[in-house]
Order: sequence, then C-alpha cells, then structure tokens
Amino acid sequence: MKLILVTASLLLGLAAISNANAASIYAGQAKAEAVCSQCHGIKNPSAEAPFPPLAGRDADYLKTALKQYRDKTRQSDIMNAIAGSLSDDDISNVATYYARLKP
Amino acid sequence: MINIAKTPLRKSILTALAALVLPFGAQAAADNAKDMHQLFEDNCASCHGSDHGGFLAPALNSETLKGRSPTALRSLIMTGSFDTLMPPFYGRLTDDQIRGLVSHLQSTPKLANPSWTIDDIKKSIKVYVSDESTLPEKPTYAIDSMDDVIGVAARGKYGRGSGSKAVFINSTTHKQIGEIPTGTAAHIIDYNPANPRWAYIKTDTAEIFKVDLYSMQAVRSVKTGFNGPGLGVSRDGKYIMAGSFVPHNAVILDADTLEPLKTFELEGIDPDGKMVSSDSGMVIGTPFDDIFAIALENAGQVWVVDLKEGFPVTKITDVGRHLHDAFLSHGGRKLMIASYDDSIVAAIDLKERKIIKKLEAGCVPHVGGGSAVEVDGRTLGFGTNFGDCDKTVVSVWDLDKMEVVKQIPVAGGTESPAAHANAPYVAVDIISKDRRARTVQLIDKKSLEVVKTLDVGGHAYFPEYSADGKFLYVSAGYSGDEVVVYDSTSLQKVASVSMESPAGIFSHGRVRYMTRGLSPDEMKGAK
Ligand code: HEC
Ligand code: HEC
Repeated sequence: MKLILVTASLLLGLAAISNANAASIYAGQAKAEAVCSQCHGIKNPSAEAPFPPLAGRDADYLKTALKQYRDKTRQSDIMNAIAGSLSDDDISNVATYYARLKP
Repeated sequence: MINIAKTPLRKSILTALAALVLPFGAQAAADNAKDMHQLFEDNCASCHGSDHGGFLAPALNSETLKGRSPTALRSLIMTGSFDTLMPPFYGRLTDDQIRGLVSHLQSTPKLANPSWTIDDIKKSIKVYVSDESTLPEKPTYAIDSMDDVIGVAARGKYGRGSGSKAVFINSTTHKQIGEIPTGTAAHIIDYNPANPRWAYIKTDTAEIFKVDLYSMQAVRSVKTGFNGPGLGVSRDGKYIMAGSFVPHNAVILDADTLEPLKTFELEGIDPDGKMVSSDSGMVIGTPFDDIFAIALENAGQVWVVDLKEGFPVTKITDVGRHLHDAFLSHGGRKLMIASYDDSIVAAIDLKERKIIKKLEAGCVPHVGGGSAVEVDGRTLGFGTNFGDCDKTVVSVWDLDKMEVVKQIPVAGGTESPAAHANAPYVAVDIISKDRRARTVQLIDKKSLEVVKTLDVGGHAYFPEYSADGKFLYVSAGYSGDEVVVYDSTSLQKVASVSMESPAGIFSHGRVRYMTRGLSPDEMKGAK
C-alpha cells in the first residue's frame, strides 16, 4: 500500500536506519498501529474484547494464519476481509513486528 | 464536543469490511425500543451522550444520521472507526443487536435534557470506607513526596469495564503504585490542595470518586449527572464543583462527604442574544480566592460562584461562542478561557470579574489545561488548538500585557501543552488524524520554535511533566497500550507503563504550581 510505503520511508528517514530488515519492522508497526491494533491492540487486546492477542506469538504461526485467512482456508468474516487486502510483504512485516513484541 | 475531527479511513480495508454486513433486509431487527435504548445507554452513551446529543463522540440521532446507509453504519459499529476512540463491537454485540441499534438510532430524535436533581445526586452516594479514621496515616508505599504521584485516566477500549480505571504512578521510579477501577472511563483527576491524601476522579458518565491516595482506594462516590467532564476543587479543599453536558447543570459538593450542597441550572443569553440552555465547560478552583469559575459552553458566559452562604453567582457574559477549557495565571487572578467558535482565548480578571481582553488563539482553541512559563521576566501563556483549518499554530501570549507574542507553526492540530519550570521545552501533542498523531513536538521556551519531534507511537496525547520536571509522560492512547516516559532534557525514552487506552495525565504537582510551567512559589504569592 502506498500510504504504508510512504510512512515507512518517512520513518526510515527519521530514524536514519539503513537496514532492510529494520525497514520491514517499521512497515509492520505502521500497519499494526493503523489497522490491527483496533481489535488486537499492540501489546494486548482489551480485556473486554473477544480478539486473540498477537504480541509475542510465533512469527510463522501468524504468517500462516494470515495466509489462511487470505485464501479463506480459515474462515472468519472479519479476518477474511482484512487479510484479503494484505500482500505477502504486508503479512511478513506485520507478523514479524508482532512476534518481536513482548506482551 | 471534544475533538471529533474526521478520520482518513484505511480505504481498501474498510471497503472490504463494508462488504461483510449483508444488506439491510426485510427482517428488520426485533426493534424493542426500550431494550435498544438500554443497549445504547449501556454501550454507547458514555461517549455519544445519554441524550443522543454527542459528547466526546458525535451525536447519534434521527437528525444526524438521516439518509445514512444502515449497512455502512452497521459495519462501522462492528469494526469501530480506525484511529479514533470508536471501538469495534464485533463479538460484543450480536448482529441482531447492531441492526436493532442502527434502526433505533436512525429513528430516535435527540432527547430532551433529562433531569438529575439534587435528590438523585444525594441518593447516588456510595460509601466504600465508612470510618475514615481507619485509613493509614501515611502512604502504604514508598514515596518521597505526594507531589511525585502522577495519575493517568485509563479509558479502557470500550470506555467502560475492567480496562477503565485511574492508574497512579510514582513519577520518580515510573512504577505503578495503585489503581482505582472506575466502571466507565476515567476522564479527569483532580487533587485536594489542602490535604495531599485526597484525589477526585471524574468519569465520562459523571461519577466522582473520592480516593484515598495513601491506601489507594476509593472511599466514596457520587453520580452528578449523565455525562460531562467539568470538575474543580476549592483552594481550601472543602468544596468540589462538577458540571455536566447532560443534564445542563452543575453542583457544589462537600469535598469530604460528597453531599450535594447546591445545584445550578446552566442557562443564559448567548453573545448573539439568544436564551440557551448550556453544557458545562471547565470548572476551576483558584488559589486566588474562595470561588469557583465555571464556563457555560453554549451561553458563552463564565459564572463566578462565591463559596459563602447561598453560593451567590456573578455572571460574566459575552465571553465567547462555545467556551471550553481554561487555565489560570497571576496567582490565580487571571483566567484564560478558550472559545471554540470565534477562535479566541478570553482573559478574565477574577477580582474585577470582567473580561480583560480577547486574544487571537489559532483555530478552534483547546487549551487543555494550558501552560504558562516565566521567561526573561515575562509570563508567557501557551495555547493549543484543534486547528481544523489551515492554520496549525500554538499561540503564545504575554500574560502581563495580554498580547499575542507569537503563533508558532506546528505539524498539526494540538490538544494539550505541557510545561515545567525546570524543563527546557513546552511539549504539545499533535492530533491530526494521520501518522502525525503519533508525535509530540517540543517548543524551546526561549527561542519559541519547535526544536524536536518525538515519535511516541499509538495516538500520542496529553503530555505531562513529573513534579520535579525531570520526566515527560505521554499517553500512547487509542490503540497504543502504554504511557511512555522520557527524560525531559535528553528526550530519551526511559520507561513505559502498560494500560488500556491511556488518556489524560495529571501530576499531583499541579496543586503546587497551579498552572503547568509556573514555579511552585506561584501559589504562595496568591495568598
Ligand atoms: C475488526 C477487528 C479486527 C481487525 C481490525 C483485525 N483483526 Fe485479526 N482477528 C479478529 C478476529 C475476530 C479474530 C478471530 C477470528 C477467528 O475466529 O479465527 C482474529 C484473528 C486473527 C489471527 C489469528 C490468531 C490466532 O490465534 O489464530 C491473526 C494472526 C490476526 N487476526 C491478525 C491480524 C492482523 C495482522 C491484523 C491487521 C492487519 C488484524 N488481525 C486485524 C479481528 C480483527
Ligand atoms: C469509547 C467511546 C465510544 C463508544 C463507547 C462508542 N463510540 Fe461510536 N464513536 C466514537 C467516536 C470517537 C466516533 C467518531 C469516529 C470518527 O471520527 O471516525 C464514533 C462514531 C460512531 C458512529 C459514526 C457517526 C457518524 O456520524 O459518522 C456511529 C454510527 C457510532 N459511533 C455508533 C456507536 C454505537 C452504536 C455505540 C455503542 C454500541 C458506540 N458508537 C460506542 C466513540 C465511541
């Protein structure tokens, strides 16, 4: 997504970080804050909410889950709709970001 | 209304989500109006207003939602509105309930101002600790000075439930020292200037909790209305005044027992000559005198209430169109109050009880507690503003001469400035609804220019300095789950404290320096 790319490059500029791996974490962070945190929170979902936590989970598990939502082999109206618009890069970025957080 | 600027939507995702809800079919939900009203009161009213007239979120009624697609509204309620306080109700309400709510909202007009009388207030008092002499004589935790206590209003994602509480932190160690569950979102925390053990927390739904900070527990509570953040404590610590959006009234309470002593109907003639019933804006006690000042938002008046027999009122009229919040200066004699619709801050002399001057204040000023600093012999006031226009500036006024010194360009709209006599920068939170909302900008007190931008993450707002000025606290609110702490000189992040949807941050030090940024001696000079 253009917005995310622009955001990521802005952040890159700000933090003056030159390594590609870090870049994807920042893109993942931007996505997580703009979209996923609405339901899943960053470190924790709301205690009052029915959404599974993502922080600190296994990155491969998160990636697989997102791909399954995307190709609808895992059913959830909401997550099918959300994952449907994620690219492979988005999935990898956001999964890597959440996996690195300590809940 | 409190900041409802529009969100840029995450388009592709939202379009995908909109497809989730099936078109509004013939099976119009079991529309039991009474049930639906209850559902609204229990889930939505704390933000959208009990009377459907809006509070910190837009009004939801037949007028405001006229012609809106029920399908789009249902999908918005299900997923929430991204980057705002509107939470996702998916999984908390059933599809039928959401359908029912939408049709209920689209067919219900804004309700008449409901009544909540002095008797209702009296009956609502709850006592949790009946014998206060059993409370400990000093704090049950290690702390050098009670001024080091910082309170954070943790809203909780849904504005109610187990995430809604006031969290207290020791601002020298950045460790949590206690928390008070508040049921609905905590909005304002105020401290008793005469006795450091007492704090008062007001919620979105207008309950006030009297809190014993030594043992970190609520000892009493009272419900003063349905919605409204206004809360002030008198300089002698004997009275509290609370003002509501719903209903349009204010009440003076005994700060000790929370017994209501007098209620006030908020109405008056606005600057355009119309008689209006009015929301309450800020309520403030001042070290200058035994008085409260309260803003009547819609009537554009400031009332000064004397704390003596009968609580007589002096009305200052024509202050501005849609008044909101304010701060004090000059030993508490001067009150600077923001007026949204004419984009001014009016300076009021609380001794003469008249307007000194109206000062330009950017665009939709929201001073958020304000800040004042002494620089090179001048007292400078700092005013933030939502900046819903092209002009995004922080206004700086000379509070002695009452004139505009500078309008400092900043990255976007702002909501709250923080300053401290010992800290080099005035911090302002950028609230414009894009990635700028993650940031706080720092203005150098001397050069009056933005010198740094901090990327806090989440929706960064409500900066506040610790009482010693060494640390800057910022809420990473909305979807961020933490309060972030910076060293106020090096601006390095030193700590974070987790909580759900943190918002306002209130240092106990405020009782000493009256307005953030002034030196603690300011209070002494007042007497
Ligand atoms: C509108 C609410 C909402 C948003 C926004 C949202 N999710 Fe979800 N998510 C859910 C729900 C509901 C579930 C549980 C679905 C199920 O039953 O499988 C879920 C499940 C998941 C799971 C599976 C977790 C597990 O334990 O198996 C992952 C991974 C996930 N979401 C990732 C994301 C990511 C990444 C984003 C942002 C791009 C995101 N979600 C945005 C609501 C949401
Ligand atoms: C924690 C506060 C909060 C709660 C609780 C809340 N809302 Fe909201 N709501 C908001 C905010 C803030 C907005 C404005 C969002 C924006 O600007 O995009 C909003 C927007 C909306 C809108 C769109 C209004 C418009 O004119 O576009 C609807 C509809 C809505 N909410 C319905 C509800 C319903 C129904 C409930 C209860 C089931 C509810 N809200 C509970 C904060 C809340």
